[in-house]
Amino acid sequence: MSRKTGLVFFPAFDWAITPTHPEREERLLYTRDQLFEEGVMDLPEIVEYKPRNADYKDIARVHFCVPDISAQITEAHLIAAGGTLVLADAFMNKEIDNGFALVRPPGHHSMRVVHGNRGFCNIHNEAIMIEYLRKNYGLQKIAIVDTDVHHGDGTQDIYYHDPDVLFISFHQDGRTLYPGSGFCNELGGPTAYGTTINIPLLPNTTDEGIHYVLDQLVLPLLEEFQPDIIINSAGQDNHYTDPLANMRFTARGYARLNEKLKPDLAVLEGGYAIESALPYVNMGIILAMAGIDYSWVREPDYRPENFRETPEHMAYLKGLVEHLQDAWHNREEMAAAGFPWDEEFFESSRMIYYDTDNIREQQQEKIRLCKRCPGYQVIRSRGLYPSGRIRTIQAIVLHRRACPSCQEEARELYRERIADPEGLDIIYLQDKPQDRYHQFTVSGESELQY
Amino acid sequence: MLIGLDVGGTYTDAVLLEGREIIKKVKTPTDYEKLLNSLLAALDPLLEEAKGRAIERIVLSTTLITNLIATRRIEPVALVLIPGPGLNPDTFDYQVPLTISLSGAIDYRGREIEPLNEQELKECMEKIKDSGVRRIAVVGKFSQRNNKHEQKVATYLQEHIPDLEVIMGHQVTGRLNYPRRVYTTLLTLATQRRFREFYSEVQELLHRRGIKAPLYILKADGGTLPLEQSAAKPVETIFSGPAASTMGVLALTPRKQTSVVIDIGGTTTDLALILTGTPLLASKGARIDDQLTHVRAFATKSVAVGGDSCLRVRNGSLEILPYREGPAYCLGGPQPTPTDAMRVAGLTDIGDKDKAIDAMKILGKDLGLSVNRTAELTLKMMVRRITAEINSMFLAWEQEPAYRIWELRQKRKVRPQNLVGIGAASPALIPLLSKEMDCRPVIPQHAEVANAIGAALARVNLRLTFHFDTERNFYFIEENGVQERIPEPLHSLQDAEKFALGRLKEEGKKLGIITDDEPEIIYSELFNMVRGWRTTGRLIDVCVQFPTGVLVEWEEGGN
Ligand SMILES: [Zn+2]
Ligand SMILES: [Zn+2]
Ligand SMILES: [Zn+2]
Repeated sequence: MSRKTGLVFFPAFDWAITPTHPEREERLLYTRDQLFEEGVMDLPEIVEYKPRNADYKDIARVHFCVPDISAQITEAHLIAAGGTLVLADAFMNKEIDNGFALVRPPGHHSMRVVHGNRGFCNIHNEAIMIEYLRKNYGLQKIAIVDTDVHHGDGTQDIYYHDPDVLFISFHQDGRTLYPGSGFCNELGGPTAYGTTINIPLLPNTTDEGIHYVLDQLVLPLLEEFQPDIIINSAGQDNHYTDPLANMRFTARGYARLNEKLKPDLAVLEGGYAIESALPYVNMGIILAMAGIDYSWVREPDYRPENFRETPEHMAYLKGLVEHLQDAWHNREEMAAAGFPWDEEFFESSRMIYYDTDNIREQQQEKIRLCKRCPGYQVIRSRGLYPSGRIRTIQAIVLHRRACPSCQEEARELYRERIADPEGLDIIYLQDKPQDRYHQFTVSGESELQY
Repeated sequence: MLIGLDVGGTYTDAVLLEGREIIKKVKTPTDYEKLLNSLLAALDPLLEEAKGRAIERIVLSTTLITNLIATRRIEPVALVLIPGPGLNPDTFDYQVPLTISLSGAIDYRGREIEPLNEQELKECMEKIKDSGVRRIAVVGKFSQRNNKHEQKVATYLQEHIPDLEVIMGHQVTGRLNYPRRVYTTLLTLATQRRFREFYSEVQELLHRRGIKAPLYILKADGGTLPLEQSAAKPVETIFSGPAASTMGVLALTPRKQTSVVIDIGGTTTDLALILTGTPLLASKGARIDDQLTHVRAFATKSVAVGGDSCLRVRNGSLEILPYREGPAYCLGGPQPTPTDAMRVAGLTDIGDKDKAIDAMKILGKDLGLSVNRTAELTLKMMVRRITAEINSMFLAWEQEPAYRIWELRQKRKVRPQNLVGIGAASPALIPLLSKEMDCRPVIPQHAEVANAIGAALARVNLRLTFHFDTERNFYFIEENGVQERIPEPLHSLQDAEKFALGRLKEEGKKLGIITDDEPEIIYSELFNMVRGWRTTGRLIDVCVQFPTGVLVEWEEGGN
């Protein structure tokens, strides 16, 4: 049987954040024109699938939506997430060799707790797909490579304490671009140290520089990690014409990246050069994934000589790659030395800003330090809304491989909290071992279960 | 009075209609070599019956184009392509004597992103000159959004090569999909001459019979156009046979219902769907010679099983083979067939019963089954095969991609209400199929001439799809290759719709479409173009058409 690449194309031509927002109806219009005019859907290597709606339970496996799921999503969100699930099924049933979900709205800035829209995202399409794959097909080890120009901070947040997920993001340096995170020292929580790898790149990094990082660091790491599946968070805003960032990646660079990375499933993230980049980059990625010659894909003003790297950049990249290789190889020693393993919990706190919805969130996180399993985390989150309203929630995340005593502790903690809510508005338990997701709203004394 | 003529592969049907009344129907065998004679044999009895009373129009559906293409009796055409960036142009092989690719490119907005190369153009012209091919299709990617390159190449070639016939892609279709446009364009040019030859003979013939009624041709999408319009795009008349039968069923069954049209013939069973009164179109256009085209055609499926299919037992199990060895055993044929099984089961009284029993005995011996059980098994297999295909057609329709939230919301699971049988073996099998699918079995009256009825009653269909780009102050129409400046400011979707409806009426008048029906808006959609948080223009798509379907519907129909 010949090779097949699955495509879900859901441009949501009737959905926008606001009429003039970059994430609007027009975003994939020219991509549609290019793909359809090329006859891509007619190629024998391509199978087009119709998206479906994701279930609330699919979302509850990943997120704590405040005050509830329906408040955070529209039908477009359900379809975009559901589109990835259609491809996940097709991939696992071996109907396709790989697949690309060209869907909007995007998701990689959505974190576990969702008070509103951050970086154009409400819910995390890839994470929803990954948890669905793990639940329904028993996949264990997952690798996510984020090729969006922005740091995939939502993905990082969701998998920061999961040693079974290797998350690698390269992006424009957080000192010069939203969301301002993704530095080399963000390497994962105590139970998953080293399975988060951030590669901040200097502005104006080109094809040559990105491929250097890919060849020297990303591909060898994947080879060592041996994931069951490789997911690409396929943002396209590293493109040299993107209006929201400052990198110099090309359509051909993206195509070659996918040819080397060989993602099993790719999901569209950002990319806002809707005319000058998206039609060409999407074309390149699809052809590369399907094993079709992409050497004829090029932007109208593409000149190969414009995408060479400077010596200064190469020196920086070399140092960066070495530093991260060291961190990766010494991750176990560093985890053992860097955290108070003789205590029950490790605590941290931070502020999260929701740019789109202007919400401020204060988060305290307690990570259960269990020597037998990846444990659980307790998140206490206070959302300060522009209206002046405040909502405080507590959420317990139980890892799917949690040991019996951690499972018992986490469930007991949930019950205790319900009995004594201590000023909380909502209490959540994400019970992955049982695939049950609970949400207790204090004011109505009602529990939702998925 | 209306006349419908369907020159099919086996039979030629003809009907003379007055309102809902069938004045006369004729069915004669088709002689491939002498299509005109077949046509006359069917037509003459109708004319006699009409006795000089006025005939308003004659609609013809023929397998002419289908046969020309199937037997490769089409004219050689060379391709001059302007593919621009994207897929490697070698991805597609259009099986033509000569293909020349030129540099130059237009983008999705119709902007020139790379000019043509004069030197290449000259070399191209010389190659064509040497090749001896005198029909050229010039097709560029995104030429529907800017035909400048196609025009320039076509003009240059015609200036330098006398007697060169040139067709341009944008003239044939403005729908997105360049490979389909290339193939449709080349087929259009390759069939134009034969089509004209054939129809001028038909017209001559009608003239000699003293008929002044206009001649219309049925298209693959179940609509008709006056001969002159069809002659420009003959390839649109391919597969008019299945279109005729579906339109016939549409006329003969109650309105607004969901039906499966089942035409059970000798070795094939042809299926089509009518969803709440509208025949389903193939989502990717007609597939001709295994290549997709931009020809709008009904979604049909041909299952390789029919009354004369050859039956045999291999490795202890019964097989229905996809071919015919001759007539049914009970009609003196060499092999057991489903018709023999139907005879044994008492579903038909065609043929000799004893011979049918013998046929089942031959199979039953190897299967270890009685005569009756063998017949039952045969019919069960046939029913299963056909119902599986029907279900997969519905499933395929449900699974068709959708790109808007409302489209996804709209597509629910649909089940058929009626199974409508036409074709010789239908009366025997439709009841069995209906039972299996839990539907109403319908064998319409006059089913044997359903094709001719469908042709006679098919409405003229004219659809125009407009794309406006207000930033570039330009619009084009998919169907007729028009590319112009926007003549009046469009401030809203309503402005664009009004403009489109006005143009449709004008165009209709030009084609002589006389109808009281108001044109309808199929879809309309507006995209604001935002550059730097400011709206700089609008992209507006509007599709309008005259109502499609049949002129007259039998109120009740069926049974
Ligand atoms: Zn990234
Ligand atoms: Zn981004
Ligand atoms: Zn534990």
